[in-house]
Amino acid sequence: MSRPGFVLEVDDRTPPMIVHEGLGFRLESFPLGTRVVYPPESLPAVPDVDAAIDHALRNPEDSEPLPALLRAGMRLTIAFDDLSLPLPTMKAPDIRGRIIEAVLTMAAEAGVDDVKLVAANALHRRMTAAELKHIVGERVFRSFYPQGDLYNFDAEDQDNLLHLGTTEHGEDIEIDKRAATSDLLVYVNVNLVAMDGGHKSVGIGLASYKSIKHHHNAKTMVHSRSFMDHKKSAMHHSAWRMGRIIKDTVKVFQIETTLNNDIFPKSLGFLQKREWEWSVRDQASMLAVKRGLAMAPQKARHKLFHDVRSVYGLTGVRAGEVEAVHAKTLEKVHAQHSVEVDGQSDVLVMGVPYVGPYNVNSSMNPILATCMGLGYYFNSYRGQPVVRKGGAVILYHPLDEGFNQLHHPSYVDFYEEVLAESTDPAVVGEKYEQQFAEDPWYRHLYRTSHAYHGVHPFYMWYWAAHAMDHVGDVIWVGGDRKAAARLGFRAATTLQDALEMASSTVGPSPSITYLHNPPHLLADVR
Amino acid sequence: MSLASDLKQVREGWRWGRRPLVPRSAEPYVLPTQKSVFPSDWSRGPAAVAAREIAQKAGLEPLFRSQVRTRVEGLDVLERLEGPVIFAANHASHLDTPLVLLSLPDAWRRRTAVAAAADYFFDTWWRAVGSSLVFNTFPIDRRGGSMATTPGEVLAEGWSLVIFPEGTRSKDGWMGSFRMGAAFLAVEHGVPVVPVAHRGTFAAMPRDQNWPSKGRRQLTIRFGEPLRPAEGEGVRDFAPRIRDGVAALLDEDSSTWWEAKRHAASGTTPDPSGPDVAPWRRVWDQSQSPEADSPRRLRVWQRK
Repeated sequence: MSRPGFVLEVDDRTPPMIVHEGLGFRLESFPLGTRVVYPPESLPAVPDVDAAIDHALRNPEDSEPLPALLRAGMRLTIAFDDLSLPLPTMKAPDIRGRIIEAVLTMAAEAGVDDVKLVAANALHRRMTAAELKHIVGERVFRSFYPQGDLYNFDAEDQDNLLHLGTTEHGEDIEIDKRAATSDLLVYVNVNLVAMDGGHKSVGIGLASYKSIKHHHNAKTMVHSRSFMDHKKSAMHHSAWRMGRIIKDTVKVFQIETTLNNDIFPKSLGFLQKREWEWSVRDQASMLAVKRGLAMAPQKARHKLFHDVRSVYGLTGVRAGEVEAVHAKTLEKVHAQHSVEVDGQSDVLVMGVPYVGPYNVNSSMNPILATCMGLGYYFNSYRGQPVVRKGGAVILYHPLDEGFNQLHHPSYVDFYEEVLAESTDPAVVGEKYEQQFAEDPWYRHLYRTSHAYHGVHPFYMWYWAAHAMDHVGDVIWVGGDRKAAARLGFRAATTLQDALEMASSTVGPSPSITYLHNPPHLLADVR
Repeated sequence: MSLASDLKQVREGWRWGRRPLVPRSAEPYVLPTQKSVFPSDWSRGPAAVAAREIAQKAGLEPLFRSQVRTRVEGLDVLERLEGPVIFAANHASHLDTPLVLLSLPDAWRRRTAVAAAADYFFDTWWRAVGSSLVFNTFPIDRRGGSMATTPGEVLAEGWSLVIFPEGTRSKDGWMGSFRMGAAFLAVEHGVPVVPVAHRGTFAAMPRDQNWPSKGRRQLTIRFGEPLRPAEGEGVRDFAPRIRDGVAALLDEDSSTWWEAKRHAASGTTPDPSGPDVAPWRRVWDQSQSPEADSPRRLRVWQRK
């Protein structure tokens, strides 16, 4: 049986704790009394994945069974989440591939000929053929990719977008035309964390900039508290308004999956365990990995971490009407990630790991590291933020990975030019967003190469807007000083220095909480 | 950070060479251990007995006597007894086991085994081998489970047993409640129980200490008249009698035989679980080593 998550209070018996910092980790001795939030242990996995998928498709929530929705002569589109989920990448076979195979088997039995598979990558980069193949599996890839029936969504292909109208708030809804004009749109998602899924799947994954800009902006993000709680997230409210209109236009059959917390493979098993329970073997492998990383060049460290394929167990799969499915999905996600935390603290400490949604097979540049720390990890709460208003956030990351020119070309200009002028999300958005979004060179790279959309770095910055608005001080431990300064933050060498620096904001003996993730957690702050 | 500093951090953080500790706030989440228990049958074979004799006589005893002083009383009861018996003693320290063993006459000591908590002394092979070899321990499950070797089998082989019926070391030096194990074995196998009371081990080496305090603290130990379950007496009736026997001996150890007898007759034997006062006062009382009558007397006659 898996144990629940809990809040540890550091005492004289507590060994040093693992803190992730990019392509590595450190052992940190936190001050006595520091609260450390541990996620629940991995939930037991579904024993027979194929049977679970079949059961979900035949017994959906608030919908007819999938076989009843399939008929000869129909237009069927299957959309699926891109490689930004799950994190790290799942060991083959990917759950999406297994579900798509099951859907296609039923479609073949029903005699459906017109089938397209589209990766719902929105403004993310186009995936390579190998990346697509990893997600859908060899069999599906071979049957659809060479014919051009399996492809990445192109949010800049004006001929293949369809404007479905506007919401009562005046938000444009523009999504993939093929999906919008299909008789049935099947969406296969991986609901890794609580923010994923629901109306966000079709409403954002298959949408264009014209549609996405209504909720991906500084104002909305500041009012998403947090974006991990869709009922209190302005971004999700917008996506839900759009989703309800999409639902009136196209029949969406949503398939959502939830995974357990089995993130690290055996070789890095110590990262998965609670430190005081490390065996001698865990201690030895930690030492070996730590010393190996200290000696290895950046490229080797990058390879070691980015080659990790997680052996997630499937905790559930549900299909049917979007909102009914998503409600059940969230129950499972919360069971795996939720930890009750009693009240806020003055200082929040988080270690930014090597991977986030936007640097799979790529590098974690300073903007992505900020997004990961102040965006995803800071927002991993329900109720209220873990750190009090005006408190301090201490992040660990070297901020030294540089920029991947293939994947993140617009980030370079954002970093060099935009952030040099202002780091205020609202200000930079107002002044520069449209220019980046409509830049023909970025658009060209997005459409033909493997670049994130020109506007994407702005979104990363908006992701952190709530945190920047909420906290008084952000300090990067072990961070490159120049990079931290460019981001508008400060850098410290050690935790002690960082606490010293933060003392002007939070006093000399602040209460400290450290979020011990990954594995993923969601702090339920009471 | 160099390899050396990494090693130092891990060595200190994970208490190499010492028992690992769980942070207090994590204790409710500790998994019940289902670890294998290492067998100890070999430790009662002739080779192990010979090795133990050397270990105890050449190693343990000189070391023990260099760290503490002892006063042993009541051994005469053993002269009137044939083994095996069950020695039931109060438990306040890791010094209790060597104290009981090294106080026994050699012939008795060589044929005495010690019941030790399986989850504590038999969780790793080296701890199992070490404690079996030096102290002749065998594992018992203090949660009531069954073990490969039962205490009954050890008794049946003719070994006397040392059992601490409290099941764990006292947190404040005062005696806790007695479990039924010793009484059960005595009733089941028809062997007498020799109550054993000792004082001073908590003062010399309490729970969190792994070596006796400096200054050769005084320990006292007293063996009492054997108790036998009466005809038809059940375990539940016999167990309190064992506890009363130990309590009377503790009383005798701190007063005199006559006073203790009178206390027992009038039902005024001091409660061995101690007074109901603030925790610090309970610890305070027990952290005082007992005084022997003549601590430095010359022993002309060798005790057998």
